Amino acid sequence: MKDTLALVQKFNAHPDSRCWYVAWNPNGMLLASCGGDRAIRIWGREGDSWECKTVLQDGHQRTVRKVAWSPCGNYLASASFDATTCIWKKKNDDFECLTVLEGHENEVKCVAWAPSGNLLATCSRDKSVWIWEVDEEDEYECVSVVNAHTQDVKHVVWHPTQELLASCSYDNNVCVYKEEDDDWECRATLEGHTSTVWGLSFDPSGQRLASCSDDRTVKIWKECNTGEGAYAGWKCVCTLSGFHGRTVYDVAWCPLTGALATACGDDGVRVFKEDETADPDQPIFFLSAHVPKAHAQDVNCIAWHPKEAGLLVSCSDNGEIALWNYQSENI
Amino acid sequence: MSRESDDLFDCIVMADDRFHVEGYREGFNEGTRQGMIDGRKHGASHGAKLSMEVSFYYGFGITWKCLLQNNVDAKARKRLKALESLLGLIQKFPHKDPQFENLQEDMEKVRAKFRQVCSLLNVPTDFSDYVKSGGSGGMSF
Repeated sequence: MKDTLALVQKFNAHPDSRCWYVAWNPNGMLLASCGGDRAIRIWGREGDSWECKTVLQDGHQRTVRKVAWSPCGNYLASASFDATTCIWKKKNDDFECLTVLEGHENEVKCVAWAPSGNLLATCSRDKSVWIWEVDEEDEYECVSVVNAHTQDVKHVVWHPTQELLASCSYDNNVCVYKEEDDDWECRATLEGHTSTVWGLSFDPSGQRLASCSDDRTVKIWKECNTGEGAYAGWKCVCTLSGFHGRTVYDVAWCPLTGALATACGDDGVRVFKEDETADPDQPIFFLSAHVPKAHAQDVNCIAWHPKEAGLLVSCSDNGEIALWNYQSENI
Repeated sequence: MSRESDDLFDCIVMADDRFHVEGYREGFNEGTRQGMIDGRKHGASHGAKLSMEVSFYYGFGITWKCLLQNNVDAKARKRLKALESLLGLIQKFPHKDPQFENLQEDMEKVRAKFRQVCSLLNVPTDFSDYVKSGGSGGMSF
């Protein structure tokens, strides 16, 4: 392999606990992490290394499963197993808890901000997906509750440009939602994975969606428009199988380079590249770089830096965060 | 003589088969009767539960609508709109047709709408006597 994935820095972010998720803020100056220790930590660059700037500790009673930055970078949302979602407002170098969103019956698994910043989606083990609207006075109001899945909903992600939402679940399916007469409706159910779907990521253009699963595969779905204005849905155009030894927990499509990174239960981090010469309806991906024991335990999350091409962050069950530099011959 | 003994033996040899058929018929009738009773009971209790749940949502919706309908501020309008939508879903609900194929699906829509309404009204959804919960016990990751 000519392409390389080199370790930049590794640090213990959530000691004696799991680090569940990491998220870059929109300008890439800050990194938020969350874990089983119920804490959210904000990391910033100090010279060559990343240091902890703030710890947000009193927001949640249980594990913080995911965090998400608003598109403007001034708000941070955190989803917790205590059935609530906290909205934090950035004030200089500190954060204050602005509001707590209640409504889910049990563990909130994920939270995501729409590109406009006016909508927020949350999902839970109670099988529902909630869509919240934010007004100018920082008030949050539930605009829709959708019960499209038959099991625990693991992840939600917004389309990069349209008001289109995708979710995935323990029921092995991916659902795509759109607004319809003031209500959000499941417009397409993507069936194909044979076990829990853990993560989702849209490609930079939003035309394709990658999903990763406990069935050890990554699937690429493409929106198919047959014209006539009818919504035809999504078709699986590629399945990456045989690469992962265990559950694939997360997938991330780099907004700058189009490289696809995965976080796996076999402790490995992998980066895939697309064969540009292939037919767009039958894309081909090849393994470009692979670090077999990137972490000592399961890799839970992977995220590309929004501004620096090739900078990648991963986090693990042993509480560590690792930063990687991916270099490709033609990046 | 030989014919008579044939018949006599026939009667014994075939007894097994005859009683089997008779027993089957009697058992079948008894089973049908019992099954009908059990089915009726099951259907009645299931139907009553579902009906109680839908009726609860309907009563809840009507009451809140009455409380809010004279308010004109934007917030109350939004709440009323969601309430109307809940009531609309219930009115459309074909509660007299147990074989309606979208029964489960529509029921999920009503439940989802009810939860949104509760969130908008700031009412906790702890009506466990009436409302079916979406979660289940066990471990979670």
